[in-house]
Formats: sequence, C-alpha cells, structure tokens
Amino acid sequence: MNDTHNTFESSAAATSDVRHTQPLGFTNAPSKTATRLQELADNNSPAFIGYLPYGFPNKEYSLKAFETLVKHGVDIVEIGLPYSDPVMDGPVIQAASHIALDNGERIAGVFDAVETVAKAGGVPLIMSYWNLIFRYGVERFARDFSNAGGAGLITPDLIPDEAGEWIEASERYGLDRVFLVSPDSTAERLAIVANNARGFVYAASRMGVTGERTTISSSPELLVERTRQAGADHVCVGIGVSTPEQGSKVGSYADGVIVGSALVHQLLDGTGRHVKPEEQGLADLAQTTHDLAEAIHGARG
Amino acid sequence: MSVLDELVAGALADQRERETKLSLTQLQQQVRNMTSTPLDATRWLKQPDCIPIIAEIKRASPSKGHLADIDDPAALASQYQSGGASAISVLTERHRFLGSFDDLDAVRQAVQIPVLNKDFIVTPYQIWEARAHGADVVLLIVAALDDAKLRELLDLAHSLGLNALVETHTREEIDRAIAAGARIIGINARNLKDLSVDVTKYKALAANLPENVIRVAESGVFGIKELEMYARAGADAVLVGEGVATASDHELAVKRLVEGGKVVKESESQPLSTHDGPYFGQYGGRYVPEALVHALDELESVYRQAKADPEFHQEFARLCKQYVGRPSSLTEAPRFAKLISDKVSAPVRVFLKREDLNHTGAHKINNALGQGLLVKRMGKHRVIAETGAGQHGVATATVCALLGLKCRIYMGQFDARRQALNVARMRMLGAEVVEVTQGTRILKDAINEALRDWVTNVEDTHYLLGTVAGPHPFPTMVRDFQKIIGEEAKEQLHDDYGIEHPDAVIACVGGGSNAIGIMNAFLDDDRVRLYAYEAGGNGPESGDHAIRLTEGTGQLGVFQGAKSYLLENAEGQTLDTYSISAGLDYASVGPEHAWLKDIGRVHYDYATDKEAMSAFLDLSRSEGIIPALESSHAVAGAYKAAQDLIDKGVENPVLVVNISGRGDKDVATAGKWFGFLTDEQSKALDANGAHGNSVDGE
Repeated sequence: MNDTHNTFESSAAATSDVRHTQPLGFTNAPSKTATRLQELADNNSPAFIGYLPYGFPNKEYSLKAFETLVKHGVDIVEIGLPYSDPVMDGPVIQAASHIALDNGERIAGVFDAVETVAKAGGVPLIMSYWNLIFRYGVERFARDFSNAGGAGLITPDLIPDEAGEWIEASERYGLDRVFLVSPDSTAERLAIVANNARGFVYAASRMGVTGERTTISSSPELLVERTRQAGADHVCVGIGVSTPEQGSKVGSYADGVIVGSALVHQLLDGTGRHVKPEEQGLADLAQTTHDLAEAIHGARG
Repeated sequence: MSVLDELVAGALADQRERETKLSLTQLQQQVRNMTSTPLDATRWLKQPDCIPIIAEIKRASPSKGHLADIDDPAALASQYQSGGASAISVLTERHRFLGSFDDLDAVRQAVQIPVLNKDFIVTPYQIWEARAHGADVVLLIVAALDDAKLRELLDLAHSLGLNALVETHTREEIDRAIAAGARIIGINARNLKDLSVDVTKYKALAANLPENVIRVAESGVFGIKELEMYARAGADAVLVGEGVATASDHELAVKRLVEGGKVVKESESQPLSTHDGPYFGQYGGRYVPEALVHALDELESVYRQAKADPEFHQEFARLCKQYVGRPSSLTEAPRFAKLISDKVSAPVRVFLKREDLNHTGAHKINNALGQGLLVKRMGKHRVIAETGAGQHGVATATVCALLGLKCRIYMGQFDARRQALNVARMRMLGAEVVEVTQGTRILKDAINEALRDWVTNVEDTHYLLGTVAGPHPFPTMVRDFQKIIGEEAKEQLHDDYGIEHPDAVIACVGGGSNAIGIMNAFLDDDRVRLYAYEAGGNGPESGDHAIRLTEGTGQLGVFQGAKSYLLENAEGQTLDTYSISAGLDYASVGPEHAWLKDIGRVHYDYATDKEAMSAFLDLSRSEGIIPALESSHAVAGAYKAAQDLIDKGVENPVLVVNISGRGDKDVATAGKWFGFLTDEQSKALDANGAHGNSVDGE
C-alpha cells in the first residue's frame, strides 16, 4: 500500500527521518486565538486586538512597538506585512507600508516580530495580502510561522472560496484562519466564512477601507449578531475603530475590538507622512494603547 | 525481509487462520448465496466534470504510526459519503493498519457507494472473502505478486463482478498491470525523500496509458493542493487517507476536495472560445475583499441574464452600429505587406482590423458600452473606472454621458500630468477625474484607488474595469463584449476578400482585451496561428519593460483580483513597469492569456520600444494609417509572425493585424522620438502636458 512504499524500497531508518518533513495528519491543536478569546470572555472581557505594520518605520523600531502594544494591554497583535498595493487600506496604513518598504522591510524578518509578540505574552497574528504569502510559498510560510510561535493569518483579499491551499496548510500546522465579513455580506456568505474560519471572524464595521472615523454606525452590532447566527464562535470588529469610546461601545457586544490606523498614527507626525522620533512615538503609542485597553477591557462593566 | 514482505507474510498467516474456521468451499458457498451484486466501481471513478474521491478509513500506517482512533467506521464512512466521496476504502490489515473485517462489514452497511477492500491480497481466498464481506473493489499490489498470480487474482476478481485497484510504483509495474488486464491502476508517485507529491514523476508514470484504464493517484494526497496537482496532471480519481481521516470535520474535508476537483475540470473545459471563468486553467478567480463578493455575484448574475436576453443583444448591436460605427473596416494593406514580404523574402498578405475607426478612437468603447448597459440593468447610477493614459477613461466618460450616468475616473497623477488633454476631454464629457497620488502614481495605483472606492460605495456604484483582467466575471464579460472584433474580421475576410481563414491573427497585449477580442473567434480553429506581443520597453535585460509572459520575467502571482502572470520581486511586491505605450504598461495580464500561454494556443512574444516605433512609421508611411503606440507593437509583431509562418512552411500567409486604436493621441511622443519637433516645440508640448500617448489599460 502506498504507506509502505517508502519503507520497502528504502531502509526503515529513513522512515523516522521522513516524519518531520510531512506533519502527521491534521494537528487538531486548539486554536491559540480562540483560546485567548475564551479566557477573556470567561472574565467578561472582550479582547483588544492591535495592528501595526511590521518593519514600520524600520525593523528595530517596529519590534519595540509590538512589545509596547502587548505591555500596555493588547491581547492579540495583528502584525501587518507591508505590501506595494494594499487595496483594503486607507491613507494612514498605506503611508506606513510605504515607509516600511522604503526602509528595506523583508518578509523573512517578520518571524522575529512574531517571536517578540509571543514572548511578551501576546497572541501573534499576521495580516497579509495574499500575494506575499503565495510568493513565499503557502506551506513554507505556515511552517516558518508556526515554528516562530504564530497563531494565525488574517487575509483581507483572500476569500474562503480561493483559500484551498491555505486551509490545507493551516490545518496541518494548527494555524488560525481569519476571514472577513462586511455589513452587506449575505447570510450565505456569512455561513461560508464562518464555516471556514478558525480563531475568529473579522467583521468590518462598515463598507470601506481601514482608517479612523469619528462615528461608528450601529451596523457592526447587527453584523456580529448575524455572523454568530451563521455559526461563528467568535466575532471581532475592526475598521474605523479608533477612540476609547468607540472601543468600549464595540467591546460591549463583540468578542474583540480591532484597532489599526489609530495606533499607526501614533508613530507618524502631523503630516502623516513622516515618522516621529522613536522615544516620542513609543511613548505616544504606549499612552494610546493604555487608554484603549482600559476602555475595551472595561467595556462590559 | 522488507516491510512489504513482512506485511504480506502477516496477512497470509491471518488468512490461513481464518481459513481453518471457514474453508474456501464454505466461503464460496456463502458468496453464491449472496443476493446482492457488486457495484461497478469504474462507473464511479471516472467522471467528465469532477475528480472522484476514494476516502479511506485509516487508523494507522507503518510510515506514520497512529493517525486516528475511529471508533465508529460506519459513521465516518457516512460522513465521507455525505461529503461527496465516490468510494470508501477500508483497510482490513490488522497488524500495522489496525483494520478489520468488522470495519468492512460496518462500512458496507453504512454506504451505497463502492467499497474498496485494502489488504495485502495474495491468495484467491482473500478475493472471495472481500466479496463475501460486500466489497466492490479489491486492492492488488503489483510489487507483491508475480505475473501469473496477478493475472489469476485479477481474473478471479473480475469473474466475481469485482474491480481491482492495481497498485503500481514504477513504469515496469504499470506495464505488468496493463498486460494482466488491469482496468483501474493506482499510481504511487510519492517522492521517497520527503513523501511529497512528485507530479513530474506521476506524469511520467501515467503517460501513454490506454484510454480505457482509470488512473487513480494513490499517494500523498493530503488536501486540495495535492488534489489539484494530480488533477491537472491528468489523474481520473484520487485516493485520500489521512487528509480526510484526521480532519476535524470529515464531511467538509471531503467536500473541499470534491469542489476542488470540479474547479479543475471546469477550468480546463473546451471549446476555448466559450470557456467561461472564474478559472482559466489555474488562473483567474476572485482574489478580492469579501466586501466585493456581493457586487461581483450581482454583476455575474445580471450579466448572465443580459446574455440570455435578446433585447440586450439588440440594444448592444444597435449602439455598436449607430453610435460606435461598427462594423469597423477590415482594410487590406498591400504596401505594408510589401515591406514585410521584402523582409522575409516571401509573399505575405496583410489585413488590418480597424478598431481605430471606432468612436473615441479605440476598441475600448465596445466594452464600456456593454458594461454601461449592464449598469442600467443593475439600477446603479454611479460608475467609476481607472485609466492609464486616458483612452478607457474617455470611452467610459463617453458612455456615461450617453446613458446619463455619474462618472468618476481614477488616474495616476503621473499619467494625468502627461495626459492633460485627455483629462480635459473626460471633464468635457462630464466626468470627474481624480488624480491618484498614492504609490507609483500610474495605472496600477489608479486601479487600487478605484477598488478602494468600490469597496466603500459598492451599493450604488459599478466599477467599469477596462480590460480582461481583475476578478471574475470581468475577464469573461469583457472578452464577450470585445469578441465582436474577431467575429467581424472573420466574416469580412470571407465575404469581402473571399478568404476562408487567415493563417495568423496578431495583436498587442497589455491587460489583453483587444487581443482576446480579435482572437476569440479563431481560438478553436487550428488552422489559425495566434500571436500576441507585449511591451518590450528597453528589452528584457534592461528591467524596463512589461513582459509578463515570456519565460523568466513574469511569475505566477495574485494581483488586483486574479491569479495570473505578474512582474514582482522576490518578496512578492509588484515591480514597476515601463513602456513607451502606457496602455501596455501594466504589471500583470488577463488570466485567460496566462492559460492560453500555458496550453500553447497563443504564441506570446514582445516588441521593444524601438521595434514598435519603427513599425509605427512603416504603417503610417506605407498605408496612411497612424496606429496607436499600443497597436504599433502588433504591427511590429507582424514582421516576426510572418517570419515564423514562413519558417513553418506556410506559403503565401494571410495575416490579420488588430489596429486596436488610432495614433493621433501619440503624435507628440512620436514627433519627439523621430525628431520631427524642434526642441522648443517639444518643450512647449511638455509644458502643456500634451505629451500624451497611448490607449491605456488595454
């Protein structure tokens, strides 16, 4: 039979050598992200999920920034991979991605950020446009990411329908798959996403790209509810959440609150195109993180 | 003693022991008393529209040890069946695979699809036994049997109405299996070093098998990735063990594989001219934010309705004729043909398809009009579009004016500056033109910004994409709106010139809409060779080009909604492109072109700036037709295609070249290139921003 083949043609010793190159079936390991969300939920708290692009403004600075996030209350870190054509991002994250790329950001280094976050006690997720992972090699990425202690991947331009290879690789390595839903997603689409997601489902608070907004409509609450009904265990809300007030409001009904641009903003100066000096940037980041964390973690009283 | 020898010895000992309790005669009597007949598995294992899955009840294996407990094999088999499995494989070997005949009995009771008994079968008794337990298929391992034994067991199985999955590892074993009369051959093409799937090895092994033999890929299929690899390599069915047995949701795991197989089959369906997305081979798809899925679904559904509605076709045809000025002429170009004939030292005839004569000066209007009509059907009232140098923007603005739609055009700041006249033209037509200051400020950045707008305003907005790229259904839909070019050319060549078919059809390819448009009508006619020319810029070595399809430049990637060939760096970041013609200056290419390249239907090559400019002048002076810089790449290609035809022994070849747009817009660029302008005139044009060129977006 097919499994005996390697042994009856080569020596039995080769078998053990071969084992670690192909994982033993699906791992069925518990989801790291869902576990953390559940722990928080048990304490009647939503999770604070914070986003920053890796390598922004440069590698060392960004590693410190990730550490700062976790130290000041972020539970789950969304490590962004800078991309030349980020169609789901607004001006702030576009600018940050550009700065990172101009400063020589390389994917191979992102695993250091993953380790940094894990070591600091955060759950490391990576947010990446699909071509970067595709180019790196889906299986190879899953292996390296998992080895670094990564929890899962948020894929803004990969829908479950196109995610076959990623679903396979993530099952093998026990990684989470975070797909997005948006306010106009049909019940059918919500079910497809909920069925294929692992960890949580990312509910976009509104139609559109990332960026800070002064107000948040009531639609995310409805979307969270519909997504749960479609079968999702955990639903976190992002896009447009930037103030402690918004965080508190969203945290009252969502399993997690995702903040991106507002954090990235702390490292940029008034022009939005240049980076603040490190000391000031990290201090501002710490303060904003702290304020958001307090509001989000206290959202349910 | 090898592991196989050991397993066979163990299985044989077990069988002998069972035989002491139930003799062969008794067993045979049992079988004769059976009322049910076995299922003919060959009817399940080869399907025109899917890749049948044989899902295995697998607890353990010698190479991997323990895999899954499987307390209730019947329930697992039912889940496999619900997921769409075509057959269930049950292991009855007990020492290393922890299987049993109880498993087989339980599974047989639970499912209505064929059941395969997997064991180390070397005696007739085991075949009778499999039949007695209700199996429909038995496994025979060629490596464990000599020729006589293999034939004996195979004949016995067939005589009992069973099929045999005959497992092979080498070409020699395959030949032995065929000689013995195997109908279903299992091919084990695992790379022995790391157990990964070796498709090259599979292809080599599976080559030249008789048509009526079913090829089952039997090893290393874990999930969708391996399934696709095998399916594309021509496997009829696949056997999957741990990939389904160890999944947390067995039904879903099988379902994913079944769906994946369907996608592969659909993506390779023929005929070429009516092949619809989402997939063209492995290319295409919908790599978009979830927020756009609803809009794409809606667009697809409205388009499908329109396609089936005669009124839509009538309206489109009426506007094509009365507004665009179709059909565009097919002009014979004898003086230009003479230039080519002299160059290749053989007589050549050349016909030009005159899309340059359309309203707005290019083929872009065909698609803009078609989508504009769809916008009305969808009840949306706002249209956005990208444009590089302005031609698609102008076509879209024109159609929006015609149909009373609100229009916004995104244009990279860099392009908008050098195309100030086209910007003014769009504004005159009532469109709002937004200069994009993000990224590299060219066409791809305009597309990014249009996508961001669409994600935000999708409820009332249609994105009128200008080429056969982007997410499904754009590549299919835009192709359908442009295929009129080739249909007309075919008819005109026949009716006006009495020529049955051209020997070659030639076009330039940026995104690829004019090329698909003229080629579609000829895709299924093997007598017609198809040639497409990319923007070679300063040549492939210079790095300043937009050559995506020539070996070694473009990579397989995912960009702006589709999987296709892409110019990217080692990190997956999009590379800057360059061409004198902005319309060909795009980092990726429509997915159908990527597929047509892979299957060898279209020959892709490139023309450099120099070659295109030289051809531009040749056509202008020999025929009095000034082609767009984009189209000039096709004109330059005509020389190369003619040479290729002559080399291939085609006599008196007839060439049809698509003149996708007119060159008026490129006069400043060309004037500067050829030195027809004084430095002062050139500077003045620069200052005016009139240095425009190009039919964008292509």
